[in-house]
Amino acid sequence: MKIIVAIKQVPDRDAPVRIDAAGKWIEESDLQFTMNEPDAYALEEALRLKEAHGGEVIVLSAGPERVGATIREALAKGADRAIHISAEDLGTRDALGVAKLLAEAVKSEFGPESPDLILTGLQSEDLGLGQTGVILAELLNLPHASLILHVEKTDSGLKVKRELEAGWFQEIELPTPAVLTIQSGGNKLRYATLMGIKKAKTKEMRVAAAEQLSSKTPPTAVLEKIALPSKQRSTQILPGTPKEAAAALVEKLKFEVRVL
Amino acid sequence: MIALHATLAEPQHFSAPEKTIFLALILASVALFFQRFGPVLKKILQSKKDPGFTLTPIGRRTWDFFSEVLCQSKVIRQRPLPGLAHAFVFWSFLAFALVTLNHCAVGFGIGFLHPKGQGISGLFSRFYFYLAAAFAITCAISITGLFIRRFFLRPKWFGKEVSYESGLIAFLIFALMVTYLAAFFITDASPYAHVLWWLHTLTLLAFLPVIPHTKHLHLVLSPVTVFLSRGKFSDIPPLVGDEDFGLVAGQDLTQIVSLQAYSCVECGRCTEHCPAANTGKALNPKEIILGVRAYLNEIGPATEEPLLGKHNSQEAVFQCTTCGACEFQCPVGIEHLPIIVGLRRGAVNTGAWENDYGSKLFNQLERGSNALGIGAVERDKFNQKESLPIFDGTQEYCLWLGCMGAYDPKGREIVSSFARVMNYLGTSYGVLKKEKCTGDPVRRLGNDLVFQQLAEANLETLAQNKVKKIVSICPHCVRTIQEDWKAYGTPPEIEHHSEFMARHIDKLPQAQDKEKIVFHDPCYLGRYRNVYDEPRQLVQISGTLVEAPRHRERSFCCGAGGGLAFLGEESGERVSHVRAKELIETGATTIGTACPFCNTMFRDALAASETPAPQLLDIAQLVARSLPVDNKA
Repeated sequence: MKIIVAIKQVPDRDAPVRIDAAGKWIEESDLQFTMNEPDAYALEEALRLKEAHGGEVIVLSAGPERVGATIREALAKGADRAIHISAEDLGTRDALGVAKLLAEAVKSEFGPESPDLILTGLQSEDLGLGQTGVILAELLNLPHASLILHVEKTDSGLKVKRELEAGWFQEIELPTPAVLTIQSGGNKLRYATLMGIKKAKTKEMRVAAAEQLSSKTPPTAVLEKIALPSKQRSTQILPGTPKEAAAALVEKLKFEVRVL
Repeated sequence: MIALHATLAEPQHFSAPEKTIFLALILASVALFFQRFGPVLKKILQSKKDPGFTLTPIGRRTWDFFSEVLCQSKVIRQRPLPGLAHAFVFWSFLAFALVTLNHCAVGFGIGFLHPKGQGISGLFSRFYFYLAAAFAITCAISITGLFIRRFFLRPKWFGKEVSYESGLIAFLIFALMVTYLAAFFITDASPYAHVLWWLHTLTLLAFLPVIPHTKHLHLVLSPVTVFLSRGKFSDIPPLVGDEDFGLVAGQDLTQIVSLQAYSCVECGRCTEHCPAANTGKALNPKEIILGVRAYLNEIGPATEEPLLGKHNSQEAVFQCTTCGACEFQCPVGIEHLPIIVGLRRGAVNTGAWENDYGSKLFNQLERGSNALGIGAVERDKFNQKESLPIFDGTQEYCLWLGCMGAYDPKGREIVSSFARVMNYLGTSYGVLKKEKCTGDPVRRLGNDLVFQQLAEANLETLAQNKVKKIVSICPHCVRTIQEDWKAYGTPPEIEHHSEFMARHIDKLPQAQDKEKIVFHDPCYLGRYRNVYDEPRQLVQISGTLVEAPRHRERSFCCGAGGGLAFLGEESGERVSHVRAKELIETGATTIGTACPFCNTMFRDALAASETPAPQLLDIAQLVARSLPVDNKA
C-alpha cells in the first residue's frame, strides 16, 4: 500500500497568541510549532496500515523552512520519505489554494496513477476549516470520507469507521484509491525515538517549490481581520449548604442548561 | 596430652617426591583457577570500552578503595553484625597472605618466617604468627556465625535456593583456620606436623579453583570494581555515536557493567531495601545483575541478542522507582541505576517499550511543556494569583517552579509557602515566564530524545534570562538540572529549598507548639544529594522531630520516582501505602516531606488509610506556619 499523509505544522497549543501589526495574522516570531494533532493521528493510522500490509508511507507538507522539523518528526516516527512543498505565503492561500498545491504535488510524484490512500487530519488546530482534505479528494477526482476513526483494508478496498454525533458511529466501505480525513483519538500515538530521529536523517526529503507546482490564483476567500475572543465570565456561585447548592445545581442543569 | 606451645609447628624435612607432588598440586590448582577465571576475564575485556572513562580522580578512587574495601565501611555500617563477621574474615585473609606465602615456601624448604629464630627476624615471626592466630580465631568464629545465618536463620533476601557452594567455602575457610591453629598444639618433631601441613595445603589448593566458579569471585573482582566504579551516584553515561541507544544488546554492555555483573556477591542487600521487591513486583535488583551475568555466560558480550528477554524482563526493568537504595547499599561497588536506566534507554530509544501511559507522557513532553499535560496558561494564572514576581535578571534567585509547583494543587501550596518564607527573609527572587519540565521522568525512563529537547530548551531560556542561581522545591528538578543537564550545557548553580531555608535558620521563627513531626527523606534529596540534616533542622524549629524506622540513607521510597508517578496502576501492593503506614505508625501528628512527588503520593495513600491520618506538610509549609501574619520580620 502506498499511503500519502498530508501534515500541517501549527502553532503549539501553549504558544502565546498575539495579533500582528497588520491585524490580519498572528505574530509568528515568538511561536513554537508542532504537528497538527489530527494529522498526527492520520500518520499513526498510516503507519499501522503499513505495518499490517506492507508498502510505503510518504509525508507531504507545505510551508516555510520551519516545516522541516515537523517532517523530520514524521520520518522519525516511521514514515519512509517526504515531500516538502516550500511556500512562504501559505497564510495568504485559502483552503482551495492549499489543496491545489497538495494535489499538484501528488500528481508530480505519481503521474497519472495515484497512491492507494491519502490520509490527512480532519481539520487543523489553528484555522479549523476542515476543508483541505475534502477539496484535495475532489481535485484528484477520488472518493473520500471524513471523520474517520479506524481504517481496515478489505479485498475490494477499505472499510472505515466514522464518528457521528452523540456516541454514534457509522461503518462504510469504499474503493481505493481514496482520501480519508482522520479524527483524533482513534489510536494511541506512538512516541518518537532517538533511533527514529537518527534513521530519519538518511531518509529522502524532496523539496518542491510552490511556484513550480501551481500558479497562484486569487483566493476565493479573503481574510479581513482577526481578533482574540473577548472574555466573558459567567461563573455562578451557588450559595447554601452542600445539599441546597446541589439541589440548585440540579435545577439549573435541568431547566436552564437542559442537559439532565 | 595436648599442650599449647609457644610457637606453631613447622615440619622441617620434605622429601623430593613430596616436593614434586606439592609442586604438581600447586600447578593443577592454579591451572584450574585460570581455566575458570580466564573465560570470565575474557568476557569482561571483550565488552565495549566505557565511553568517557578516566582513572581520575585517583584520590577519590583510592579513598573508596581504602574505605569500602580495606576498612569494609559499607559492609559493616549497613549490616553491623554480619558485616563485622565478614570484615573479620576479610582482614584474616589479608593477615594470612604472608602466612600462606611462608607456608608454601616451607614446603620447598625455603620458609622465611622463623618463629624459633633469634633476633629481630625471630621476634617478628613470632609476633606475626600470634597476630595471625588472633585473626584465625575471630575468622573461625565469624565464619561459623555466617554459616549459621545462611543455613539456619536464612534471611529471605538470600533467595529460596540454598547455596551449597557457600557451605563448601565456609567449610574450607574454617578448615584453613583450624589447621593453622592446631599447629600451635604440636611440635616440629611430631608425626602430626606433616599431616597438619598437608591438610592446610590441600584446603588451600582446593579453595583456589572454587573462587571463580561461585559468587566468591568477588574476592578477586570486587576490589577492582570498587576502585573502577563511576563514583558518582546514579551516573548515567553519555550515549556516543549514531549507534548507541543504551543497553539494547550484548554489544552495548561496557567493561564496567560486565565487571560489576561478575562481582555480585548475591548478598541481597539491594533486594532487602528495594521498594519494588518489597511490594510484590517482578523487579528484584539482584536478579537484574545476575541476569546480566547469566546473559554474559550464556550469550556473551559483542552480540546482537537483545538483553531484555530470557535473562531480564522488560516488566521488571520498568518497575524501578530509581530510588537508588540498591546502589547505595551495594558493598561490592555495583551501580544498579546506570544499568537499569541503561536497559530502559535501550527499550525506549529503539521504540521497543510499548506502554500507553508512557507514550502519553512522552507525547505530552514532546508537544507540551509539562509532565502533567496541562496548558501553560494555567501556570501564568497561578503566577498572577500568587503575585510571583517575574525574573528579570535583577533578582538574586530564580525560583524554579517545576511541573508540580506550577500545576499540582499541593505543589502550588508548597511554592506559595516558600515564597512567603523568601518574602519574610527579604530575598529577591523571580519566576521565569515560561519553563519546561526538566526532563526528570523521561531521563529516568530512558527517553534520551525528549530529555535532550527539554534540557536544551531550558538551558537556552535560563541563559537568555541570565539566571545565576536557582532554588527549587523539587529534589527531582534540582538533581536533573544540576547533574543530568551537564550532558548538554552548563546549568546555573541550584539548591533545594531545604538547603536555602536551613542557611537562614537563625532568622526564622520557632514554633510554639512542639507537635511530633516525622520527616520522610525523599530519595532525590537524600541518597542523590546527600542532604539529610538541613530539612531536619527545619523540622526541629517547627516541632519535635520523630524518625521513621527507615530513615536517612535507608529511607523507603514513596513510589513516584523514575517516571512511575505517571505510569498508572502498580502491580502488587502500593509502595506509597507501605511507606505511609510506616510513617503513621510513628505516632507523629504531622508527616513532613520535602518533595512535591512524595507529597502527592502520600496525599493519596493517607486518603486511603483506615487509621486517622496525620497532617501532611512540606518543610516550607511547616516553616511558613510560624511566620507572623503580616509576614514581616
